[in-house]
Amino acid sequence: MGLIARTVEEGGIPTLSVSSARDITESVKPPRSVFINFPLGHTTGKPFDRDLQIKIIKDAFDALKSIKEPGTIVDLPYQWQDGDDSWEREVCA
Amino acid sequence: MPSVKYIELTRAAFSSQGFPPYEWVVNKTAPFTPFEKNLKECRVSLLSSGGLYIRGKQEPFDPNKNDLTFREIPKDIDVGELAISHNNYDHADADSDVNCVFPIERFRELEKEGHIGELSPVNYTIMGRIFRLTALKNELAPQILSRLKVNHVDVFFLVPV
Repeated sequence: MGLIARTVEEGGIPTLSVSSARDITESVKPPRSVFINFPLGHTTGKPFDRDLQIKIIKDAFDALKSIKEPGTIVDLPYQWQDGDDSWEREVCA
Repeated sequence: MPSVKYIELTRAAFSSQGFPPYEWVVNKTAPFTPFEKNLKECRVSLLSSGGLYIRGKQEPFDPNKNDLTFREIPKDIDVGELAISHNNYDHADADSDVNCVFPIERFRELEKEGHIGELSPVNYTIMGRIFRLTALKNELAPQILSRLKVNHVDVFFLVPV
């Protein structure tokens, strides 16, 4: 996806990517990204949580406006489970 | 901020399947087109790599890897018509609410409330896990760019899975 974002940006259309894999985004460097530390399959939020989905998208649009340095990643503050990162340990197990 | 090391996980998975280690693209710089328009006047198009397609009307993706095709999803699609063909992420939640990976209903609401000018009449989906990088760069990406230009898209919003 980062490569598609780069091609579209080179073609003159501004892009914004929402990422849940920070290391891949750091490596491929799309022009503008927000990072959300959620399990894969929830890039724009939890199911049926309309408010969270809207917040993530609006934060992403804020980043579209604010990022001036190519390749910038803005970290979003949302946690999958408050104060509990057990899902990350399960992915890595 | 701690986060899962997906590059290491993917390399380990490739090695365990007998493939050589996968080399990720490493870019030191990024292209940049300044965003100078008013978002409230912009046509925004959406791309997801979640493997969504219109059930019964479009071909499902090859759910394993290297499917270089894309699907066009009209803005007024009934999300109940969408299905997912993708073997590399747990899409149980996205099956019940596509907005987890393809937030088209939220974008329609943002159009209605005037946060964006409009959602593009055409939006896009692909299947991730494309390891044929030359074909991705030289075929799929330029095809999508040319569709965006035909549709006069001002902003492209990408949701990788």
